Amino acid sequence: MLKYIIKRVLWVIPTLLGVLIILFSLTYLMPGDPASAMLGPRATPELVEELNNRLHLNENMPTRLGYYLLGVVKGDLGTSVWSGHSVSSLISSSLPHTALLAVSSLGVAAVIGVFLGAFSAIRQNSPISRFVTIVSLLGVAVPDFVAALLLVLLFCVKFPILPSIGAGTDGGILGIATHLILPATALGIGWVGYLSRLTRESMVDVLDSDYIRTAKAFALPQRSIAYVYALKNAIIPTITVIGLGVGKLLGGAVFVEIIFNRPGLGKMIVDAVYARDFPVVQGGILVATILFVLANLLADISYGFVNPQIQYD
Amino acid sequence: MNTTSSKRISDQMNRQMSLTPRWTETLIMAFQSVAKVKGGLIGAIFISVMLLSAICAQWISPYDPNAQNIIQRFTGPGTAHLLGTDYLGRDILSRIIYGCRIAVLVAFGAVSLSSIIGVFLGVMAGYNEGKKFDYFIIWLFDIVRSFPQIILALAIVAVMGPSLVNVVVALAFTAFPFYGRIARAQTLSVKEADYVKAAEAMGQKPLTIILRHITPNIMAPVIVCLGMDMATMIIWESGLSFLGLGVRPPTASWGIMLRNGYKYIQVSPWMILWPAVAIALSMIAFSLFSEGLRVALDPKERER
Repeated sequence: MLKYIIKRVLWVIPTLLGVLIILFSLTYLMPGDPASAMLGPRATPELVEELNNRLHLNENMPTRLGYYLLGVVKGDLGTSVWSGHSVSSLISSSLPHTALLAVSSLGVAAVIGVFLGAFSAIRQNSPISRFVTIVSLLGVAVPDFVAALLLVLLFCVKFPILPSIGAGTDGGILGIATHLILPATALGIGWVGYLSRLTRESMVDVLDSDYIRTAKAFALPQRSIAYVYALKNAIIPTITVIGLGVGKLLGGAVFVEIIFNRPGLGKMIVDAVYARDFPVVQGGILVATILFVLANLLADISYGFVNPQIQYD
Repeated sequence: MNTTSSKRISDQMNRQMSLTPRWTETLIMAFQSVAKVKGGLIGAIFISVMLLSAICAQWISPYDPNAQNIIQRFTGPGTAHLLGTDYLGRDILSRIIYGCRIAVLVAFGAVSLSSIIGVFLGVMAGYNEGKKFDYFIIWLFDIVRSFPQIILALAIVAVMGPSLVNVVVALAFTAFPFYGRIARAQTLSVKEADYVKAAEAMGQKPLTIILRHITPNIMAPVIVCLGMDMATMIIWESGLSFLGLGVRPPTASWGIMLRNGYKYIQVSPWMILWPAVAIALSMIAFSLFSEGLRVALDPKERER
C-alpha cells in the first residue's frame, strides 16, 4: 500500500512536466506570429518586438521551453499581455470564487445524492425512488450550461427573485450566498442525479450481500444495517467518481461563470481567450489542471483506504 | 419455409467459414439485444430520427435556416413557424434541424477520430507491454487525461481558431486517451490467447497480428464507450459554440442558438427553450441507448 502511494505520488511529476510541455507547445499551434496574434492588428512593430523579447519568442524552442519551465518552477506564470498584472495575482483573485462554487455545488450534491440514492435503494418503488429516477434522467439530459441558462430564464427573467450577475461580494455573507444559489444549482443538479443513481445501484448490490444477511440474522436494527453497514461499502464507487468529477466541475464552471458573470477561474480563462492574452490562458489552464491532478491523486489514494480489499502490486 | 431455414443455415455456415472479423457480428448481436432492453429501443429510435434529420435536413426543414424575416422576429410557436422565430426572424425549427446536422457531424467526427487513434496507440502499447514504447504511451495518455477535458479543447480551439474541423480535432485530442486505456487493458488479456500465440508461432508480423487478430477482439467495450461519448461530444460542441469558440455563425448550431438566445433572454424565452429541448432529447436518447448497449453486452446484467 505504501509502495503504491509513493509510486502514485511520484508519477505526478512526469505527468505535470508533460502538461507543461503541452501548454508550452500550444503557442506553436497559433497561426502566424504569436506576438502579433496576441497584440491584434493594430500593434506597432515596436510593440511586437517588445513582446517578443519579454516572452522570449525570438529564442529557439529548447531555450524558450527552458525559460517557461524555470518560470513555472519559480512560481512565475508570466504577466498578462493586456492588463500588465502578473498571472499569479489574477489567478489568486479569481480562484476563491471558483473554489467556493465548486465546493458548495459538489458538496451539497454529494450529500443529497448519496442520501437520495441510499434511501431509494432501501425503499424501492417508493415516491423517492421514482424521484431519483427522474432527477438522474434530468441530470443526464440537461448539461450544466443549459441548466444555467434555463435557471436564469426561470428565476431571473420570468420570476425575478434571485440575482443572476456577479459573485455578490459587496453584499456580505447574504449577498454571496444568494449569488451562489443559481450557479451552484446549475453545476450540482447533474451530480445529484448521477451520484444518487450510482449510490442506489451499488447500495442495491451491497444490500444483497452475505454480510448484510448475517447482520439481519443477528437482528440488528434495520436503520443501522442500512446506514452504517451497507452505506459504508456502497459509497466506495462514489469516491473515485468525485475525484474524476473535479475535472468536469472545473469545465462546467467555465460555462456557469460566463453565464452568471462570476469573476472566477473559468471566466478568467475564457476572457483571456477572447483577448488572445496567452500567458493568462496558459496559467489558468495550468492551475485548473494541477487542481484536477491533485483531486485524482487524493481519490486514488483514499480509494485504497476505504476499500482494503483492493490489492496493489 | 424450408427454403428460408436452409438459407439461414447456409448463411450461418458462410459466416463461420468466411473471415468476417468477429466484432461486426458482435455489433449486430449487440444491436439486436439493445432493442430487447427496455429503453434501449426508444433510444435507438430517437437516434435514428436524429440521424435522419441530420442527413435529410435540406428536405425536411420547412424554411431555409438562414433566411431572415425581420418583420416576423421573436414570434412564439405558431402555424407559420412551428417553433417560432429568432432575433432575425429565422425559423427556429429549421435551425434546430440543421443544428442537428452539425451536432451529429462533430460528434461522429470527433468520436471516430479519437477512437481510431486511441485504439491504435492503446493496442500498440499493450502489445509492447513493459517496453519503453509502452511507458511512453501511458505517459502520453496520462498527460492528456490530466487536463479538464473541455478546458483543453477550449484552449486548442482558441489557439487554432474556431472552425468545424478544428472543433473536431480539439475534441478528438481530448478524448483519445480514454479509448487508448480501454484498448490497452483489453490487449493485455487478449494477447495471451492461444490464437495470438499461434499467429506468432506462424511467424506473422507484429503489425498483422495487432490489426487482424487483436484489434477485432477488443472492440466490444470500445463500442459501448463510443455511444456514451457521442452524447458528451454533442454537449461540448454546443458548449464551445455557445462560447463563440465552435462552429462559426451564421451556421445553425444548437450552441450558437443558445448563445443568441442568451443575448435576447429578456425578449423571447423560445430562443433558449427549443435548443435546450433539442439537446435534452438527444442526451436522453444517447443515454438510454448506451445503457441498453451496456446491459446487452454485460452478461451479469442480462441475467437480471
